[in-house]
Amino acid sequence: MSLLSVQNLKMHFPVRGGVFYTTQAVCKAVDGVSFELKAGETLGLVGESGCGKSTVARSVVRLLKPTSGNVIFEGNDISTQPQSSLRTMRREMQMIFQDPAESLNPRHTIGQILEEPFIIQKMGTRAERAEWAVELLKRVGLPADAMHRYSFEFSGGQRQRIGIARAIALKPKLIVCDEPVSALDVSVQSQVLNLLLELQRDMGLSYLFIAHGLNVVKHMSDRVAVMYLGKIVELAPATELYQNPRHAYTKALLDAIPIADPTQRRARQLLRGDVPSPINPPAGCAFGHRMKHPKWEQSVGMDLTLKEITPGHFVQPCPCCT
Amino acid sequence: MPPPLLEVRNLRVGFQTDEGLLTAVDGVDFALEAGKTLGVVGESGCGKSVTAMSLMRLLPQPAGRILSGEVLLEGRDLTKLPIEDMRKIRGNDIAMIFQEPMTALNPVQPVGMQIIEAIQLHEPTTPAKALRRAVELMEWVGIPAPEQRVNEYPHQLSGGMRQRVMIAMALSCHPKVLIADEPTTALDVTVQAQILDLLKRLQNETSMAVILITHDLGVIAETCDDVAVMYAGRIVERGPVFPIFAKPQHPYTQGLIRCLPKLDHPPKTTLPVIPGMVPSLRDMPPGCRFAARCPNPHSTDVLDTRQPWKECGSGHGVEACACFASQISAS
Repeated sequence: MSLLSVQNLKMHFPVRGGVFYTTQAVCKAVDGVSFELKAGETLGLVGESGCGKSTVARSVVRLLKPTSGNVIFEGNDISTQPQSSLRTMRREMQMIFQDPAESLNPRHTIGQILEEPFIIQKMGTRAERAEWAVELLKRVGLPADAMHRYSFEFSGGQRQRIGIARAIALKPKLIVCDEPVSALDVSVQSQVLNLLLELQRDMGLSYLFIAHGLNVVKHMSDRVAVMYLGKIVELAPATELYQNPRHAYTKALLDAIPIADPTQRRARQLLRGDVPSPINPPAGCAFGHRMKHPKWEQSVGMDLTLKEITPGHFVQPCPCCT
Repeated sequence: MPPPLLEVRNLRVGFQTDEGLLTAVDGVDFALEAGKTLGVVGESGCGKSVTAMSLMRLLPQPAGRILSGEVLLEGRDLTKLPIEDMRKIRGNDIAMIFQEPMTALNPVQPVGMQIIEAIQLHEPTTPAKALRRAVELMEWVGIPAPEQRVNEYPHQLSGGMRQRVMIAMALSCHPKVLIADEPTTALDVTVQAQILDLLKRLQNETSMAVILITHDLGVIAETCDDVAVMYAGRIVERGPVFPIFAKPQHPYTQGLIRCLPKLDHPPKTTLPVIPGMVPSLRDMPPGCRFAARCPNPHSTDVLDTRQPWKECGSGHGVEACACFASQISAS
């Protein structure tokens, strides 16, 4: 059984404006996303900015209440649970954010930040909590004297380690990582990625790993889902997806990765235009529409639910892109 | 051999702070020929942007100043020019584009107006002619429907289009050198590919020289002729792009290339790392600044004196720290 099952998740935001601040349009940030995540597994989520990957992340941990669809975690549908019962659920699922500088309270010491999850969950005595916090620091490779310092005294990589320590404090089963290394330098990035892999091995964590760096996602994930304009267009085991992409958008995305080897320079098939706005998205296959593909019209009105083409490899069955 | 278009000699830049003078760039040398692209790569805080800002003489005032060294543009030392002359150099001879076009553009003025302003500052022309030129420039950098776009505000454009506007503005007076400071860092990969392709095309058409500052080795490998690897305010290795990637000599360059997750790596395996962190500007050792993170066995003596520069053939040179100097092989 899967740990997390997301079924036809939709997150629509009203766009308000005008004299009476009425709803003038609907921004379909996430529009029918489904995936499963097994225990101990990492699912990578890639796509360009505005494709809805962060919105998926936030809906999964119920920082946003989805417009429709289900998020089933260990058999409970958390998309419909009342706010009051979310606290126990959040012991099991945590989040790591992109910018550790903004997700750590600058007025709290690291000790206070790391003890807070225990206080919220009413766990342990004061002495026990302090002891746990020191253990957490050790676990992520920071010295115990960090307890009494503030987040601004640390470098970006160290702050991200603090963010990770806070996320693993309650020994969760699932961690949603929203661009955890995008703000870090390359030499620090690999340190943090190694830490995440090590924690996963030791604690049996599942990750929903979101990033726009395709190399990073490939390295971290068992399976990868590619999102475009609020929808998953392709989902496959990581190696399979990178070696044998089937959707035109996945191909374009992979082709655009700069390769750190000057002997592999190549001419590119450049994509034209930008990702369209999720406000009033085109009907049918959005990518076919962007590419002005002659077969795009056939995809309008079609059922674009992902189809399994080889075991574990799902792709949107539009005539224009596959 | 003709002298290079731009030559930087022993550039040192410092910032006056409450804690005294901090040297952010400590003796940087490089040369740039017309039509070539030099990539400057390094981690945040290594001084790559400060180097760029000092070439333009745009250091934050009054804290930042050039302590010593020369910036020779066609033989003229820019560091000694009066500010009025420098103003004529900016835009006309050296232009710059920035990482985040949204903060570099004026949000309350249509983009066309901003391009026109750049044109009119440098060449006296009628408003109608300047407008026509702005539209041409926007078309040149690949902005669709430029006649409409001239009247739009930055927020109405996508990130890629904004960066194109910045490029149009920078190229409006045919500069000889374009400094691009992380021009694609804020953009998505597919848009990044478009912008890098555009820069290459424009460079071929105008034979301008480009200094491309980035932290992404992939971008360097794909677009640059030469590379300078910066670490803690110094260039530790410099040379043509092929030998640098094929035979990196400095342990920092080696580490940077190695610790990137590559597509052909086995997934979920431990990545090579560069342990530790960049030393703080406040307690920089006078000698090798990478010693604390260096995997090679070395004596602490390397911290005390600046390590010599050593050439290893065809323009490839390296700050040859004693820990690996004996192993340097010609490339």
